[in-house]
Amino acid sequence: MSAVLHAARGGLGGRRLQAVIIGLVVLVSTAASTLALGMLADAHSPFDHAFAQQHGADLAFAVDTTKATPAQFANAAHVKGATAVAGPFAADDNVTVKVTLPGISGSLNGVPLDLVGRPAPGGPVDDLTLQQGHWPTKDNQIVMSADGNGPGQLGATVTIGDQTLTVVGIANSVTNTADGWVLPAELTAIASQAGTHEAQLLYRFGSDATSGDLAADASAVTAALPKGTVVGAPASYLSVRQSEQSSVAPWVPFIIAFGVIALVISVLIVVNVVSGAVVAGTTRIGVLKSVGFTPAQVVAAYVLLVAVPAVTGAIVGVVCGNLLAAPIYRQNAQVYQVGVLGVPFWVDVAVPLTVLVLTAAAAIGPASRTGSMSAIQAIATGRAPRPRHGFLTQRALARLTGVPRPVTLGFAAPAARPGRTFVTVVAVLFGAAAATFGVGLSVSLNHVFNDIAQGSRLPVQVRPLPPGVTGNPAGPAKGGKGGKAGPHQSVGIIGPRAQPLTAAQQRSVTAAIDAQPGTLHYLTERNDSLNFPGLGTANGGAFITAYGGGDPAWAKLALISGTWYSQSPGTAEIDVNTLFLTDTGTQVGDIYTMVNGTHKVTAKIVGEVFAPGNDTDVYMSPSTLTAIDPAEAGVSQYVISLRPGVSADAYASSLQGALGDTYNVNANTGSGKELIAITVLVAMLTVAIIAVAGLGVLNTVALQIREKAHDIGVFKALGMTPGQTLAMVVCSVGITGLVAGIIAVPAGIALHHNVLPTMAHAANSSLPASVISVYSGPEMIGLALAGLVIAVAGALAPATWASRSRTATALRTE
Amino acid sequence: MDTVVQLENVTKRYDGAPAPAVSDVSLRVQPGEAVAVMGPSGSGKSTLLNLVAGMDKPTSGAVRVGDERVDMLSEAGAARFRRRQVGMIFQFFNLLDDMTVIDNVLLPAQLAGVKTKDARQRAEELLSTLRISHRRDAYPARLSGGERQRVAIARALVNKPSLLLADEPTGAVDSATGEEIGRLLLDLNAQGQTLIVVTHSPELAHRYARRVIRIADGRVASDTPVVSGPAAAS
Repeated sequence: MSAVLHAARGGLGGRRLQAVIIGLVVLVSTAASTLALGMLADAHSPFDHAFAQQHGADLAFAVDTTKATPAQFANAAHVKGATAVAGPFAADDNVTVKVTLPGISGSLNGVPLDLVGRPAPGGPVDDLTLQQGHWPTKDNQIVMSADGNGPGQLGATVTIGDQTLTVVGIANSVTNTADGWVLPAELTAIASQAGTHEAQLLYRFGSDATSGDLAADASAVTAALPKGTVVGAPASYLSVRQSEQSSVAPWVPFIIAFGVIALVISVLIVVNVVSGAVVAGTTRIGVLKSVGFTPAQVVAAYVLLVAVPAVTGAIVGVVCGNLLAAPIYRQNAQVYQVGVLGVPFWVDVAVPLTVLVLTAAAAIGPASRTGSMSAIQAIATGRAPRPRHGFLTQRALARLTGVPRPVTLGFAAPAARPGRTFVTVVAVLFGAAAATFGVGLSVSLNHVFNDIAQGSRLPVQVRPLPPGVTGNPAGPAKGGKGGKAGPHQSVGIIGPRAQPLTAAQQRSVTAAIDAQPGTLHYLTERNDSLNFPGLGTANGGAFITAYGGGDPAWAKLALISGTWYSQSPGTAEIDVNTLFLTDTGTQVGDIYTMVNGTHKVTAKIVGEVFAPGNDTDVYMSPSTLTAIDPAEAGVSQYVISLRPGVSADAYASSLQGALGDTYNVNANTGSGKELIAITVLVAMLTVAIIAVAGLGVLNTVALQIREKAHDIGVFKALGMTPGQTLAMVVCSVGITGLVAGIIAVPAGIALHHNVLPTMAHAANSSLPASVISVYSGPEMIGLALAGLVIAVAGALAPATWASRSRTATALRTE
Repeated sequence: MDTVVQLENVTKRYDGAPAPAVSDVSLRVQPGEAVAVMGPSGSGKSTLLNLVAGMDKPTSGAVRVGDERVDMLSEAGAARFRRRQVGMIFQFFNLLDDMTVIDNVLLPAQLAGVKTKDARQRAEELLSTLRISHRRDAYPARLSGGERQRVAIARALVNKPSLLLADEPTGAVDSATGEEIGRLLLDLNAQGQTLIVVTHSPELAHRYARRVIRIADGRVASDTPVVSGPAAAS
């Protein structure tokens, strides 16, 4: 064994460039694969991590405390499968409150809240995390949920009847069991005022992976309590889990695509590097065998030679993969309040091990072939390698007139080593395809963010403030409990129905908007949230948006198919997002009947809107909305799109000045941080893969120069200048790069056209053509040259070395 | 021009070597001379040739070929100098195995940018003169040692250099072929070609050179005319 180690160490010393290349390609493939697998494992990980950490409630029951005794509740805690129970906690899910916010005069009336009375935030089930402030220590104090309805600021007040409670804390419940918590005695007083006898009972079970398991558990609890105790269906954590699906899920497909590309390209290059090292060391292998090395020992020596840089690269690669993933994990940790999240440990172990096994396997093949040669054959082959391929190509190119001879010498080189040339073509092809894919993906993502971000489409909103309120309260929130704010909504309070603008107010607002030079278009907007047939209730049903007063296309939402609804009062047409179509089993062109209590409207689905995410969206005219929900009549706000180059903040400030302080003018430009973060990640992965492809070329050229060192010496002796030598070497990979680049463009486009829909599917959406068709003719031509650029860049360093080498030194090389 | 090659106090020391390969060598070669440089293995004679050809740079001293200060040339300049002024013949031929005979011979002319038609004509003439026209499309692996050396000589002459440098031109061939090569060189010299031949063979030196420079331990041990022999006779 020591002899093998000695042989490997000696081989490594003379192969520093190859060792560095192996180390770098393994590093990149390990980093990309760690990131990819980590993201894949993370699809549900943040929620699951938070759920476990906070002992989330698998099921939350609403119970009637008059129908069961405390002993019966205690007995029901022992149903089969239950591992922990909390409650019953006095609750009231029908409290209407008046809210005041610090720094804003006036109040918001009629805000609905679900309240629960708990003595402390902790417990065996639904362990609340206090984000700000403290738990109530006395009466007239309340803690609000960070994700529920109600004020999210310390010092705000909540008035219930004649009781005014001060917000002293903000807490997070992983399954959003309430909008707010008070001390049990406080809740009892509130509930007795209202005459309710509700309580909340929270359960955790040992086996709860599927909805079937939970349904069985719910039945068991219901059966364990007297009939009528359990009110309605319990809230399941699975509904919340699905709606809370990690925001990284849509990004997983493209990260996996990059991870696979990196892995394949790295294996190819390791094969190339090791083959080259073995070929270059054939004489050495012959000498090793002549002194007694067996074929197995030769293979072991070369696998070890590869292993040293590979292990180093794998270790550094895992660290780099974790660093690359850190910003995404940090974002999720903040969202889920789970402290620090990271790549799972098993990923950090499995990925480098897999990469190392593949690297070793790549090394065994070429080492075995040469190891099985006889010693004499190996020495003779190594000492006097004769070209076996490429004669015809050399001869044909020598006949070319008008092309400098160094260039034709370079063009002929790939034919001399067809196997190595093929591997290099494939490596460059992958690199250029990654570039094509990365460029298209960045452009597509930019389109996606512009298509869905309200800040891009309708950056300015105008709404009247409620009577008696002045200042700038947050706007209406979207979805019910459990719904995270989307990119086009700000978190706030679902207040009472927004008061419609009077005719005079409408005239004032439109006149002021028309007077602003930066105005492009404006629309009226009214929002609603209704439960329609066929839709799940996890997110509170369908979120309705009614654009009026103009062409709904002015809202700049992208249509995947179909057209926008008509504004004609007698025509009932709706546009919906992909999730709506999926949930209701409908398609564009179908007739859909909307039901809201006693109101029924049959409408035609005329278009599919690009609005990804976990919410079902419906777009309709104001008249159609009034027909299905008469309470939603009139105009509640105006939304404005701006001319190119106009600053939303400046526009909003000017309009606010024109309208006065009885209106709220809001500029919602968004920070675009998420787009920037993802674009940077795409760019880093693309550059990493291109770098690996370039390293593959560098290795090929370095091998070529090593093998042809003597010939290069002859060329120089005959009068080839350093510039001609450089041109010859660069041209030796130029054709390779160009061919690879030309093939890479359609390959990269195909990858883009397959990965993007997969990403959209993960976000519950199809894609509009504008997001898919992002490659123009000139762009494709430019991208086709990417292969040439990669090849030339990879060849430059060894080519420069060859051009600068001393003629006499090169001639002495055997 | 009264001097083709002039070396002034030329020394070449390689990194790490205990002694210089060439030490304080001064010599001149006149136009049309046939000079043999002799010495044992490792004496520095091939190094001397490389310095004259501009394929290596001296540690100190000056090397002139014609009006060119060869030791001061850049790599590019040295390459251009070799194209114009120098023809190289090597012991082991140094033909390119993946090129035919005619392509090997054409190579220096193509590197120099000579028009294809002119280069081909010159190459064909040389192949004919050297009696290897019939092998113009063969690859070097198929040639005998003598044939290969003749191809190498043709290649060395394609750009009509003022100086022909031959490093052990008969070292890799049998004696009969060596004689043949020697006669070729003699004929070239008789036509006015300045020739410097490195050899360890006294017989070759005395038969085909008019002057013999002996190198020992990197220094000129002796520099004597050949008083009798075919070269001296011519």
